[in-house]
Amino acid sequence: MAENMHNLWLGISVAMQPYNFLVAMIGLVLGVIVGVLPGLGGANGVAILIPLTVAMPPIAGIILLASIYWGSLYGGSITSILFNIPGEPWSVAATFDGYPMANKGEPGRALVLAFVSHFFGAVLGVIMLSFFAPIISEFALRFGPAEIFAVMMLTFSAFVGLGGKDAVKTCVSIFLGFLLASVGMDTVTGALRLTYGSINLMGGFNFIVAVIGLFGLGEIFLTVEEGLKIEGKGGKIHLKDITSGVLEVFKEYKALILGMLVGCWMGLKPGGATPASFMAYGFAKQGSKNKEMFGKGAPDGIVAPEAAAHGAGTSAALPMITLGIPGSPTMAVIMGGLMIFGLVPGPMLFKEHADFVWGFIGSCWIGNTLGLIVVLAFAPIFASILQVRFAIIMPIIVYVCAIGAYAVNNRLIDIYYMIIFGVFGYLFKKLDYPLAPCVLALVLGDMAESALRQALLISGGSPLVLFAPPIALPLMIAAIIIFFWPSISEFLAKRKAQKSSVGPG
Amino acid sequence: MRKANIWLAVFLFVLGAICLFDAVRLGFRWDPTIGPGPGYLPFYLALGVIIGTTLTIFKGIKKLKAEGPGKPLIQEGGLKPILWVLIPSTVMVSLIPILGLHVSAFVFIVFYMREVGKIEWVKCFMVGILFPVSLYIIFDRLFLIPLPSGWLGSLYTLPF
Repeated sequence: MAENMHNLWLGISVAMQPYNFLVAMIGLVLGVIVGVLPGLGGANGVAILIPLTVAMPPIAGIILLASIYWGSLYGGSITSILFNIPGEPWSVAATFDGYPMANKGEPGRALVLAFVSHFFGAVLGVIMLSFFAPIISEFALRFGPAEIFAVMMLTFSAFVGLGGKDAVKTCVSIFLGFLLASVGMDTVTGALRLTYGSINLMGGFNFIVAVIGLFGLGEIFLTVEEGLKIEGKGGKIHLKDITSGVLEVFKEYKALILGMLVGCWMGLKPGGATPASFMAYGFAKQGSKNKEMFGKGAPDGIVAPEAAAHGAGTSAALPMITLGIPGSPTMAVIMGGLMIFGLVPGPMLFKEHADFVWGFIGSCWIGNTLGLIVVLAFAPIFASILQVRFAIIMPIIVYVCAIGAYAVNNRLIDIYYMIIFGVFGYLFKKLDYPLAPCVLALVLGDMAESALRQALLISGGSPLVLFAPPIALPLMIAAIIIFFWPSISEFLAKRKAQKSSVGPG
Repeated sequence: MRKANIWLAVFLFVLGAICLFDAVRLGFRWDPTIGPGPGYLPFYLALGVIIGTTLTIFKGIKKLKAEGPGKPLIQEGGLKPILWVLIPSTVMVSLIPILGLHVSAFVFIVFYMREVGKIEWVKCFMVGILFPVSLYIIFDRLFLIPLPSGWLGSLYTLPF
């Protein structure tokens, strides 16, 4: 414990170095802008800037990428509360009560409540990261290929069982992601797979291009289809708002703690911030004394989902850095950035690059604290970006996306792929195929496949190795239970209903 | 919407079938020297896509028969703005080998702002020049990431 505190202190001092501090600041401002603009999200904001980080030292690079994520988590709420348009999927729940409160003439109060709750969610997430990451990575050192594969099965079954989308479509989306990942050279045998003699396909599909297309362009198509109408309140925040807002958050401590816990729990599993915020909103509404106020500007209706969203966002870093399994699409992109530096997230990272990992954890403390100050001070300026007409912003977003897609591998064909991915992103969103599992499968594809094949080689072809006790077996059982969770919970509910109808009679 | 659901599933089904074909060619069976063949995982993945899309197609047809086609995929008046983004972006990308990324972006920005946004020429040119120039300086100059310059290659090396 004492050693961890010492390491954490070192990490924070790395993050406080002037250059890293400046990088964090730039990342936060860019992140808030990305978060405010509908059509540009955390995942593709990070993806576009990955090429820039190559020229930086690794620690500054990861600080930049992570800061964009923290910034976009804060920034999404600004659009939701002031304009009733969610700037990010995880801030949809903020429109339920945040916009009504702003509409009643208290935009400053709503913003401060949201930002401070965000901060508290982040704090719990970062505390978990600081104190559990060393323990988990120590434990994960014992993992072999079968165990790694089991953890991935757990990840993907969580999408199917807990994602809340059509299970068949979720599976199809996962399979497609893995198939995309397997295009190109097979890492074990060197055979060319699924290339059909095309040189362009030999290079495979880069997931950063997929992220920019699916989330970036796809989102733009959705936005222009609906015809973006922006009518909003100016959100001035006075000093008085801040002090009263902080006090009010403490008054809603029940909703706050609920949001923080739900967020951190959900962040550990894939799916991340978006379901966490909805879940916390639902729980807060059920447990609240003034239920009828919900949807009309209830303060606890803002506090719970916002704390959950940011808690989930930060705690998603925990499985990413310790196991190499990102908890959200944005974390997947950040992990991709780490891999470009030759740093493969996973238990070995802690052993081999401890200074780097602790620098990252330290920067999570600094970045989230700095983020709170930035949004409190400059929320109205960021909000004014949305007064710029979409006809000006749209071509610039497409242009920036194209730069990001090209710069990954310096290939022109990637920009075409980006447009194709954009069309599919639009269709998938419209027809209810979840995108996050597809992207995660594309990121983890190579790793999952080599884990599976190594495990099978070790066992001489027997699939039983995947269920080997003591570690793989419980993970696989958990994966299977989670996969069938919707049917199981339905069955349990039916039985309970039967019992209660028979019981008292 | 329900018809589109079926068509997308049919398309993905075909995609799965094409992948399955290649996986069989690569060999998906156990090989005593290399273990699972290179087509091992793609075979089962493609099979999964085929099964999943078949289920989706059947469910979709059942629902289509029971409840009718439902809302259209693209809401009324929505197709035009989408094509106004899709076609100019594709044109921009195909101009890159000739004009380079930054100059084709300039053309794209000015065209879109003028035609769709109906914004004055002066503003269009201001935005169209300001952004490509600043992004050129950030990417090509400060971070030394060479973006495609097309036939105008020599112009791009001009010192700023």
